Amino acid sequence: MNFKKNKIAKALLMVGALSAGTAQAEIVFNGFASIVGGTVSTDALKSDGNGGTIPDDFNGYEDGSFDFSQDSLLALQASSDLGNGLSVTAQILARGENDWDPSFEWAYIAYEATDNLRLLAGRQRVPFYMYSDFLDVSYAYPWITPPQDVYSLAFDTFDGLAAIYTTNFGEFDTTFHAIYGGNKNEMIISGETVESPKFENMMGMSVTVNRDWLTLRAAYFQADMDIPLQNDGLGYLSDAWSATPYSDVASEFVIEGNSGEFLELGFQIDYNNFIIVGEYTDLTVDETPIAGGESMYIMGGMRFDDMLVHVTLGATDKALDNFISHVPTGADPALDGLIAGTQGYIDDAKNEASYVTLGLRWDFHDSAALKFEYTSYSDDINSDNDAGLFRTALVTVF
Amino acid sequence: MSKLLKTALCSFILFSSVSFADVAVIVNVENGATFSDSDISRIFLGKLKKFSSGDKAVAINLKLGNSTRNEFETKVLGKSASQIKAYWSKQVFSGKGKPLPELVSDKDILTMVASDSNVIAYVDAASVDDSVKVIKVF
Repeated sequence: MNFKKNKIAKALLMVGALSAGTAQAEIVFNGFASIVGGTVSTDALKSDGNGGTIPDDFNGYEDGSFDFSQDSLLALQASSDLGNGLSVTAQILARGENDWDPSFEWAYIAYEATDNLRLLAGRQRVPFYMYSDFLDVSYAYPWITPPQDVYSLAFDTFDGLAAIYTTNFGEFDTTFHAIYGGNKNEMIISGETVESPKFENMMGMSVTVNRDWLTLRAAYFQADMDIPLQNDGLGYLSDAWSATPYSDVASEFVIEGNSGEFLELGFQIDYNNFIIVGEYTDLTVDETPIAGGESMYIMGGMRFDDMLVHVTLGATDKALDNFISHVPTGADPALDGLIAGTQGYIDDAKNEASYVTLGLRWDFHDSAALKFEYTSYSDDINSDNDAGLFRTALVTVF
Repeated sequence: MSKLLKTALCSFILFSSVSFADVAVIVNVENGATFSDSDISRIFLGKLKKFSSGDKAVAINLKLGNSTRNEFETKVLGKSASQIKAYWSKQVFSGKGKPLPELVSDKDILTMVASDSNVIAYVDAASVDDSVKVIKVF
């Protein structure tokens, strides 16, 4: 923790030192913050295993209490123009859910090669989704946070290189954003904190076309993955299958040298007082214990003066391939037991859900907005997981 | 009841007598470029960086809260002040762009436009003098 703060202080000093070398040394500071409070209501109470019950939780919120830390965050950005098209930018973000420990969300050097071409080197966002570039800047979009089932990949940033090329086809402003790099930061995958995952050779591109009120977007990325999951269940299943004639199944529980692919399609219509946004994502992580599949949402909103009322409908359909379908049942009781256990794992990984979000944004101030949101979440496989989430947020940019 | 009606009527008359000032988009007198409404809007959103002549375009804003700026953003950009603020925060926090430089008064704007052929700006139509060229009044 001290080390981390030290690192941040050093980096800020470095930004200062770099810019102090130029004639018009100037560091521009910007920032944003969201203070979010929320609570959840669920029908079912989870068993604590000792005959009692514990409050259910949903997206980090607990039934029966109002939580102010889960989605709250504050960020500071320092950037400096070094002249001749070169600039350096660092963005430090602290999240309530991480005990407000600050971390670098962005840290890059940018070079404006031409009026149309911008090159970035360092830590930056993977342009996975429509709102990736300003994912945490709640002031910049209608919701408190973008729909969680679509914005659900394990990480949002990478370390590497990017090229952003903008051009106009008539009145269509087109942006190509290509990246190459990787991510080896601690992250949560399949509900487990993985200390040293490896996403390497990550590459891909997003294309955004905008004309007046219409924006269309498509993105595709792929990466090589090594993820040392420590889950005992997975280790047991992998070992057990290794000892059978169907040892190929064992590798399904291990993520080593696997590749992942991600596709996104999106559109936005912002016409007078109406706004309609839709996004579709498809994650493919074959031969791994992580469920891949599709997720989508469509949002419609209407502005009344400084109020924006919006409704979002979303759905998710994720599953594992049935990778034991070729294993015969009834041949060996021990094998049958293993098949049953594995089938249980496959069934558990299935996620079919839908949700409706109702929201209100009130721009009560030049630089701040107040938001209210209610999400009703339905799990189509197990209705015990149905939940209602209410959140309110004060968001600002400065 | 009739008192209430009178008050309502009074405020209605007062309100409708507030005429909104026209906004003039201006460039340097040397600037021979042509502009469509969409060009003007894209220049002020940082999407178009050159005039039709190929010269670099530098758009200048009035300070936030200035009534001419509000008028310009509503009429020309078709957005409210908070929508514009949201737009620029997207640009700033993704490193894709910087908000436009700002000046305090129409007088400062006129001086700037008169002296720099790359500058495009807007002022209250009533402030315009012959040191600048008006390309369109909204």
